[in-house]
Amino acid sequence: MTSPPAVLVEGVRKVYRRDSQEIVVLDGLSLSVPAGEFVALMGPSGSGKTTLLNLIAGIDQPTSGSVVVAGTDVSALSESELSTWRSRHVGFIFQFYNLIPVLTAIENVELPLLLTDLGRKERRARAMTALRVVGLEDRAFHYPRQLSGGQEQRVAIARAIVTDPAVIVADEPTGDLDAKSAEDILALLDVLNRQFGKTIVMVTHDPRAAARAHIERHLEKGVLSHSVGRHDATSQATGTRP
Amino acid sequence: MKFAPYVLKHLRRNWLRTSSTVTGMALCVFLICTLQTILGAMDANIRSAAADRLATRHAVSLVFNMPYSYAARIRAVPGVVRVAPLNFFGGLMGSSSQDFANFFANFAVDPGPFFEMYPEYNVPPAQMADFVADRRGAVIGQDLADKYGWTVGSAVQLESFIPPYRVGRPFEFVVRGIFDADRVRYPGTNEMQMFFHFDYLYESTRRRAGVGNFMVQIADPTQAAAVAKAIDDTFENTDVQTRTESEASFRQGFAELAGNLVVLLNGIGLAVAFTVLLVTANTMSMAVRERRTEIAVLKTLGFSSRRVMGLIIGEAAVLSAAAGVVGVGLASLLVSNIAKIPFLGAALGQFPPLELSPRLATGMVALSLGLGLLAGTVPAWNAYRARIVDTLRAA
Repeated sequence: MTSPPAVLVEGVRKVYRRDSQEIVVLDGLSLSVPAGEFVALMGPSGSGKTTLLNLIAGIDQPTSGSVVVAGTDVSALSESELSTWRSRHVGFIFQFYNLIPVLTAIENVELPLLLTDLGRKERRARAMTALRVVGLEDRAFHYPRQLSGGQEQRVAIARAIVTDPAVIVADEPTGDLDAKSAEDILALLDVLNRQFGKTIVMVTHDPRAAARAHIERHLEKGVLSHSVGRHDATSQATGTRP
Repeated sequence: MKFAPYVLKHLRRNWLRTSSTVTGMALCVFLICTLQTILGAMDANIRSAAADRLATRHAVSLVFNMPYSYAARIRAVPGVVRVAPLNFFGGLMGSSSQDFANFFANFAVDPGPFFEMYPEYNVPPAQMADFVADRRGAVIGQDLADKYGWTVGSAVQLESFIPPYRVGRPFEFVVRGIFDADRVRYPGTNEMQMFFHFDYLYESTRRRAGVGNFMVQIADPTQAAAVAKAIDDTFENTDVQTRTESEASFRQGFAELAGNLVVLLNGIGLAVAFTVLLVTANTMSMAVRERRTEIAVLKTLGFSSRRVMGLIIGEAAVLSAAAGVVGVGLASLLVSNIAKIPFLGAALGQFPPLELSPRLATGMVALSLGLGLLAGTVPAWNAYRARIVDTLRAA
């Protein structure tokens, strides 16, 4: 018996309206991401990658079609239901980290836990665990301005995983980083996928980043091309592509 | 409560802006508190007027005097029990320098009828007898005695700034009595005053000094209007017509010499409050505009629009409550020390002891909170409505 996909996008159409003009960003798009997969979405600017990511993350709604993530049809949820759903089931990693500058690293990581019923001690303990996972336990009480770009992104990843979501969506997580830091972040995502079993959907322009994913999908003018590659754990470990 | 550190940290983010906003709002609260306290004291002073006392003055203005001979004619009006001349002397310490810094209210009165109709001035009988017997004698309030360290027997020199009472040299007085008041029974009694013999003034000015006011005690307060009309009718066909009114109206008229203070002071308070509302609203809007991306991030993390709005409202509430407390504290400090401020203290000493009432203090903190919440409403609503995708795209 096969497990249901972590992300199931079916016949999604997304249309933006600018004045009287309709802009079709996604046109009948379907995508299935099995649980525990690491998928990279690539494509030129304006192809609809980020829009698709936003739909999967539940921060935008499709014009038509359905988006089922972790067993919930997020396209059918109300605004407030979506907020609650996001806080429990999805972790979001931004290109520019988007940490709250007045909060320390651990306070930033703790933020999503404020929406839970956990007590302060438990929240702190979980935030520290998340920081330990990303290797920044010793920087817990540093402010974002006291961290490098790579460290900031690792704190953002800790924030994304602190609630133990089923799905992590990352919007060009290495786009603002130097090669070394980018490599560290990709290695971390790899760990989250392999060791912690997180389903990751990542938008990227960087072929090297995409190469770390198991599945690479290309978007062109709102339409997905077929999978251009699949690297399972074994093949990636050996550096081969099937 | 778990969101409190988040709210407080944001307020510390731009401490200069936060502190200037708090200061602005606090000054507004301080100003309104102080003005309302003064208005309240003036109102208490008016309310403390006795119903059986009338005041007769020159029909044209308080600044003109009436002939002394009117006393006997007023006394003859049916319903009148006793009549006492009362002249505001305007005496200042220091012979020629006109030392307004140490100004206190001083009046020439006819001791017998005056103290009989003003039981609130409690002078020990022996001291009252000494005062009545000494033409240069004076009685002073306990607060005045305390302020200058005067005791019975102290010599005091005053020179008036009112031209008819200036005789080329200071008037010399000897303190013969010190009065106090039952503040519970007569809450409006001012103990920063001095009373001396009208005869001393009258004779020293070679009988040129007329009478500023005749204080009239009547037998039946319900007949006040009729007696007042009868007094004024008595002088209707003379050169110096009179205007007689209840003591409360008289005090109100005296206060209104400075204009319609109630409207003026309330107007100032309203204008300041409105200005502060706009300034605070602008500050809150700026603070929220700067954090548009942050708001989108919070929503992405699962914070509902309502919760985000609550956080911004919370910031406004903390800011305005702090301003309210600071403003009330400053006002309390000023009000309790107002007597020490030269001239202003003496001028306001005409009124009951100034105190910032707990009701006003609570009301002003609530007003500050209300202003803050009102100011935070628009930015909070904008944050509520902000769509994550649009905001992140615009960032």
